[in-house]
Amino acid sequence: MKPKAIILRGTGTNCDIETFNSFKYVGAEPELVHINQLLSGAKKVLDYSIMAFPGGFSYGDDISAGKIYAVKMSRLSADFGAFIKDKRPVLGICNGFQILVKTGFLPENKAGAQVSTLYTNDCGHFLAKWIKLKINKKSPCIFTKGLPDEIELPIAHGEGKFIIEDKKVMAELVARELHAMTYEENPNGSMLDIAGITNSSGTCFGLMPHPERNFFAWQHPDRPAAAREAAAAGFQFFKNAVDYAG
Amino acid sequence: MTDNLLNFTSLNKKQLVELDRTYGWSLSALELAEVQRQFGETGRQPSRGELETIAQTWSEHCKHKTFSGPVRFKSGGKVKRYKNLFKETIVKATRKLNKKWCLSVFTDNAGIVEFGKNGKWGLAFKAETHNHPCAVEPYGGAETGVGGVVRDILGVGLGAKPVLNTDNFCFGYLDSKTKLPKNSHSPERIMRGVVEGVRDYGNRMGIPTASGGLYFDDGYLLNPLVYVGCAGLIPVDKIAKKVIPGDLIVSIGGRTGRDGIHGATFSSANIDEDTSASAVQIGHAVNEKKTLDVLMRARDLGLYNAVTDCGAGGFSSAIGELGSETGARVRLENAQLKDTHIQPWEIWVSESQERMILSVPGKKLKKLEVILKAESCEYCVLGTFPGDGRLLVTHGAEKVVDLPMSFLHGGVPNFEKAAVRRKVKISDGSPVSPAKTYCGILKDMLAHPNVCSRHSVITQYDHEVQGGTVIKPLQGKYGDGPGDAAVIWPQAATLDLNDFSGFAVTHGFNPAAGRIDPYQMALHTVDEAVRNLLCVGADISRTAILDNFCAASPRDPEVMGDLVLAAEGCHDAAMAYGAPFISGKDSFYNQAKDAEGNEYPIPISLLISATAPVEDIRKAITMNFKEAGNPVYLAGVNRRGLGGSVYGDMMVAGNNFISPLAMKEAVRLYLAVSKAISAGCVIAAHDVSQGGLAVTLAEMAFSGGLGAEIELAGAAREKGLGPLELLFGESPARLVLEVTKGKETEFLKLVKGLPVNEIGYVNEEPVLDVKDGEARLFTENINALKTCWKRELL
Repeated sequence: MKPKAIILRGTGTNCDIETFNSFKYVGAEPELVHINQLLSGAKKVLDYSIMAFPGGFSYGDDISAGKIYAVKMSRLSADFGAFIKDKRPVLGICNGFQILVKTGFLPENKAGAQVSTLYTNDCGHFLAKWIKLKINKKSPCIFTKGLPDEIELPIAHGEGKFIIEDKKVMAELVARELHAMTYEENPNGSMLDIAGITNSSGTCFGLMPHPERNFFAWQHPDRPAAAREAAAAGFQFFKNAVDYAG
Repeated sequence: MTDNLLNFTSLNKKQLVELDRTYGWSLSALELAEVQRQFGETGRQPSRGELETIAQTWSEHCKHKTFSGPVRFKSGGKVKRYKNLFKETIVKATRKLNKKWCLSVFTDNAGIVEFGKNGKWGLAFKAETHNHPCAVEPYGGAETGVGGVVRDILGVGLGAKPVLNTDNFCFGYLDSKTKLPKNSHSPERIMRGVVEGVRDYGNRMGIPTASGGLYFDDGYLLNPLVYVGCAGLIPVDKIAKKVIPGDLIVSIGGRTGRDGIHGATFSSANIDEDTSASAVQIGHAVNEKKTLDVLMRARDLGLYNAVTDCGAGGFSSAIGELGSETGARVRLENAQLKDTHIQPWEIWVSESQERMILSVPGKKLKKLEVILKAESCEYCVLGTFPGDGRLLVTHGAEKVVDLPMSFLHGGVPNFEKAAVRRKVKISDGSPVSPAKTYCGILKDMLAHPNVCSRHSVITQYDHEVQGGTVIKPLQGKYGDGPGDAAVIWPQAATLDLNDFSGFAVTHGFNPAAGRIDPYQMALHTVDEAVRNLLCVGADISRTAILDNFCAASPRDPEVMGDLVLAAEGCHDAAMAYGAPFISGKDSFYNQAKDAEGNEYPIPISLLISATAPVEDIRKAITMNFKEAGNPVYLAGVNRRGLGGSVYGDMMVAGNNFISPLAMKEAVRLYLAVSKAISAGCVIAAHDVSQGGLAVTLAEMAFSGGLGAEIELAGAAREKGLGPLELLFGESPARLVLEVTKGKETEFLKLVKGLPVNEIGYVNEEPVLDVKDGEARLFTENINALKTCWKRELL
């Protein structure tokens, strides 16, 4: 049976459809669900096996990126917490990563509080470009399994500077190899060049770059693309989630 | 003044003009006299609301009186008369071409052409200008410009899903601050504001801003031009719309406030010291995103019979347009407001953003409400479309408007405008020997604001959201080469990852040529757009184009003369290239006056936006050199003339004539090259445009990280063409091609008999070496060239 994937939307979510398409292509049964449908009780997250928070500007990124969406989720934090604890795959891309950080689900911590943030890029504004990333092979992250040491993905964000103030939290994150992905050339000022982090089970993963935008070879800026194999680096992230859930 | 309003029908000409100035309607005395006559017949005085409605509806901005009006054009002793300039040039070409893949032209909020293989989809395309608002308040003006053109796409047919935004800007040179009159924004401040506005709105909407251009000229010092465009996909069975009598008038999205009162009328006048920033609307992208999400769901469920956007003129235009046959009964007290101190007539004409008007059958309202609430989108039911042809607008007990629709839409008077051909001194002398080396000139040229890299603007836009920007504005080995056109694979609209249909979008623009010869400018501009489409491998036989004219005051006969010539050029180019116009826009009165009374008119500016299908997006090509050893070809004939060129802007050129475009030859050449690209013979293509051949070669080289050995002796050239015009001249209809090694024979067979000549090969060594027979013109490291080019503009 195809694993059911919940693609969470809200006002201002805007990478939902390509994320939906990507999950469908690798064999999941995705469904777009608005946070209002969860809050009204019309839908329940625990009815799904995979969860994704797509990119965008949820609620305009007012206050700070992902903050309002995270606040809306707080009433349902028991359900979300249970989903993660159950080791069902959770993927947060860009604004989705920002939401996971603002809810306190990432980095994982006992209090379930927000212990880090994704702050305004050092350049001071939104930045969209292709970058090289290093994959941490020692990380428990299930999404990055089987990827080469170095991949390319585009970034597109204004608030992507990953910061942890507490040195102990950062040291623990690094010691447990939870920094699954780092920038080769840091585009935003993130501490330790961190581009994506996971939890200790490796099933909850947030990253600033967009794997759904390098899903097929022809989405890459270097051409000719038709000569290459269809599946590009981003494909693997989605495939891994479905394989794991299936 | 209230007295004058109360005695409207008996005012004299002077009083009418005074009244118009006070209320900012931008109507002429003759137009006001016509209003007076019509009310005289009814035997009553008009209300403020009625006069406001007429001012909006009859404004230049809404009715395009200049372009669609009668013109008397005088050129060299001959006189030509037009009854409707637009219909007799632009529209005429489209009608004559009569392409069956054009699904909707000039009638709706955007033009629609067929898209894809299965006949299921249409591609809607529209470009707008938002010049006046950006001159006054750059950030807000640009934001609401984007918001407005996106709503045009949402409001075409029963609504298209936006998949691409375009942006083309013109500013004064960034270093021209010293020339600024007092109290004006510096070009740098305007540019920064405009870029940030487009960024913040477009990115939040989740629409990739992936195609556009930047152009600097001091003609735009006080009047920046901000062209914003949008393309969207629409199911072909959702193109027809019709209001059914009895339908409810439902406004969805934003609330109504006092921002943007008189936007339409202020855009129909020159800007001066007294222009108020309150005419500019305040944007809020999140509201528009909600509106988009609601509309797409409601459309697919068939919950409304018609839709249009609230743009210029607000409710008055949108409801007036939808109800032009049925009439409309509007209760303004039902409107959702953001300002409680608003007058009823202000609610009626306010241009507050993010509002769409739907015509909803009463029994479907409940279902629509469910979707609106699910998406947290505000709405209000404003009234009904009754079917009696009467426009009745009330606010509680107060009557705001009570007029027959025919008054608004039929009554607009139009007056003949005078046009004359501008006298321009043309010299065709030999180029003046430059004091610099060719290499030195090339380096300066690569750093010229009209040539250098646009990355500092492009990277601020989310140009890849929706995952379908397969040919990007920045491309090549390092993802930073200047692309000729964007190619969009609209997977987020079709939801079909096995359908590789896409479309290309690009632009042509050259006001420098327009100063010398507006007719040739129009031809060159269409040619450049078609050539750009060709460079990515689009099917140019299915090119559709948009015209977007900006000009100074049409009261100046020379400005009108420029317009006539450019419009005639558009007609002739469309016919020769078989490329119909599907939609257009014009903006006049781009003329500012400073405190000392000096006038600043812009040059005639024609933006041609073009689109063509890409059958298989996987086979689209980019502009950078790909592999050492591959032969390089130049397609097209190099011709004389430095008029309108970047070189002419930088140096004393010695001549200013513009090589006339041989359109038939160009089309023959392009069709052959198109076949060669489809056959997989061509692996890179780049057009020769601003900066000329030297810039084209340099860009192809450094974007691919490869050098080239170039020998121009074999290139086709007009008699008398020297190395300077060969390197830096901008004669049209030329492009440089990299051909895959081993496919030369097939390639040459496809281009047989055409001016396509080998000019060298791609080289591993990172050096661009250019010779012309015995003469070595220059040799330079590609990284040194790239350093000059890759400037930070912001």
